[in-house]
Amino acid sequence: MECYSEQTISIFVDGELAGEEAQRLRDHLATCRRCRQLLDALRVENRVLSESLQELPEEAASPAGSPHVPWSFGWGDVAVVAAVLAPGSIVVGWIDKLSIPEALQWLNPFSLNGRTNLFFNLSYYFANGGTAMLGDYAAVIGMIFLLLLLGGSALLLARRWRPQQSGLRLLIVMLALSLPGFALERRHSEFVVTVAANETVDDTLLATGNIVRVEGVVNGDLLAFGQSVEVRGTVKGDLVSFAKRTVVSGTVEGNIYNFSNSLDLDGQLGHSIYGGMQSLRVNDRGRVGGGILVGAGDVSLEGEVTRSATVYAGNADVSGSIGRELTMAGDSLTLTNTARIGGNLSVRVRQLKNVHIAAGATITGARDIQVRVRQSRFARPRFYFYRAVWLAAAMLVGWLGLLLFPGFFQASTQAVGSGWRSLGLGVAVLAGVPVAIILIAITLVGLPLSLMLLAAYLAAIYLAKIWVGAFLGQMLLKSTTATKGDWLLALLVGLLVLTVVGFIPYLGGLVRLGVGCLGLGAFAWQLYRASRRAITI
Amino acid sequence: MRKDRSSREGKATQIEGPDLESVIARAQGHDAEALGEIYRLYVRRVFGLCRYMLESRESAEDATSEVFVKLQRAIESYDGSIPFPRWLLRVAGNQCIDALRRRKRGQQVIVEAAEEVAVIEAASLEPSPLGAVLSREERGQVREAIARLPENYRLPLVMRYYGELSYDEIAQQLGLQRNYVAALLFRAKQELRRKLAHRSK
Repeated sequence: MECYSEQTISIFVDGELAGEEAQRLRDHLATCRRCRQLLDALRVENRVLSESLQELPEEAASPAGSPHVPWSFGWGDVAVVAAVLAPGSIVVGWIDKLSIPEALQWLNPFSLNGRTNLFFNLSYYFANGGTAMLGDYAAVIGMIFLLLLLGGSALLLARRWRPQQSGLRLLIVMLALSLPGFALERRHSEFVVTVAANETVDDTLLATGNIVRVEGVVNGDLLAFGQSVEVRGTVKGDLVSFAKRTVVSGTVEGNIYNFSNSLDLDGQLGHSIYGGMQSLRVNDRGRVGGGILVGAGDVSLEGEVTRSATVYAGNADVSGSIGRELTMAGDSLTLTNTARIGGNLSVRVRQLKNVHIAAGATITGARDIQVRVRQSRFARPRFYFYRAVWLAAAMLVGWLGLLLFPGFFQASTQAVGSGWRSLGLGVAVLAGVPVAIILIAITLVGLPLSLMLLAAYLAAIYLAKIWVGAFLGQMLLKSTTATKGDWLLALLVGLLVLTVVGFIPYLGGLVRLGVGCLGLGAFAWQLYRASRRAITI
Repeated sequence: MRKDRSSREGKATQIEGPDLESVIARAQGHDAEALGEIYRLYVRRVFGLCRYMLESRESAEDATSEVFVKLQRAIESYDGSIPFPRWLLRVAGNQCIDALRRRKRGQQVIVEAAEEVAVIEAASLEPSPLGAVLSREERGQVREAIARLPENYRLPLVMRYYGELSYDEIAQQLGLQRNYVAALLFRAKQELRRKLAHRSK
């Protein structure tokens, strides 16, 4: 009789040959020495397999023969990104050098104006949840982030935190309960919140709405969040405004703390203006009882400022009067014939031709106008010293982290390699956590929590470069072993590379942003995994 | 890698018979302590299977956690008809296949290809079956070679010789024909022999 195939005998050895056929094979084996030998060899082989599998493969040899440092971007993606970035950075440099008409300056995202504009628009959208400005695409992006964040956390909560996590539920209930107990008067509306002309609010008023309009009297402070905040009546305390546009045509007796795209003061202000804004305008009818300390894209002072004004501004125009000194740093300053400055004038600009002082302007004190030539930072030895300190600090932090949480740090480094996942998660965390912090901070009970979150957020941003640096170093060194020494060496190499790349104009900024996002994403992912394990085990 | 992971199954796994049965019975009654005991006994074995089947330590850890999370409910359906470790590894194998399928967006993990089924006749020029290589170093080489097998060979091989699943169970989990599984297993062994023969040269 003919011999059986090796495959059939192999199936027989596995005990998987059907009854009748197995019997026939057994009969054949009794007569065939060759097949018996093959059978024995296959049995031994099975035993070898089972025994070998008793232990796990060495970590260095990851299954499926994937490379030691998995990198799902692939060099092709890197090349595409580089190809887009390189001409991009050239174009950007060109745009920056063009003389763009002042009126269009706000469109240029690389000017001070453009940047403040961008910043305010973005922060406004995030703060407002996008309800007010659905038409604007950025608001939509803000919403998507928010929804992703909320939906994602809800999903994770539902999946991961089982009912025994009663502490968390308690926290949620407490947060919910804290809302009505909030000691302020709160008004909220999707559209307009108004304090009517004949109305008086005795407490501090927290108003959120598309338009917040005060025509009556607020005896306490006014905390306003909205698209547009208008004070036509009187606020006896301070005005804290976070809005796209803030107009004060009535009276604010305290200070104005402003974080708006624009602030127009037509009325009376008892004390001072503090804050950051895209444009600040004190109209000719406006009067500031104290001083001004702001960073702004455009500052226009037409009215009266009793004390001193300190502005960091792209453009500052002064045609009104300032009781004491004017200190200005920025791009350009114009003093018209009607301008009066009661004290010294100190100006720091890049180019002298950007300072225009009309002959009729009155300056009582001394003039101190300095041109700040931006010296190349590479020319100063101090710069290298600080970089060395920075590097040493980062290495120290990396070493400590590795010592204290070896698994976590190495796993985070590996998680960077997941590429798009880390990047996407990182962008979401970078944008989402500030929103979460603001949301938590609004409920007073959550204030400590939001401060802790803020600290963790900042720490994570700092740590991001360490993980990415270590990952990059491992990739460059092709280090396969995971000893601490190797990890630290990889970190040093990676940080050096990142530092050098970070100094390339424009591209460097993008790289730093990318590194931050990647690291944050890896960190968030690792945290999520760690929490999962803690719960399951 | 921590040392304790590398030696799967300490002495703890030795409990058997009535002891194990009572632990399982208690676990089926949602006794948290008994579930913890089962976790302690079998986590390394389950992790090992996942580690061989999945491509990274991370996903193996994830799958292992999932297995034990699901076990809290799934253990109710264990009826004692097969030994518990085998049953548990079947669950774990399923979990890994699910994970792999999710990554492939619901597609088959292994797609049947006609040329694999062709029966290889005896007396081929293939290297002969692996002999009794038992030194520690050689076992390590076998392990590494298994880990480097392509997925369609590695999965059935690990399920069969680590998880001790039957051809039918493997076929069902992977959604393949039984004789296709047999062919894959045979091919996998041949591939393994070739790899190891090549290495020893």
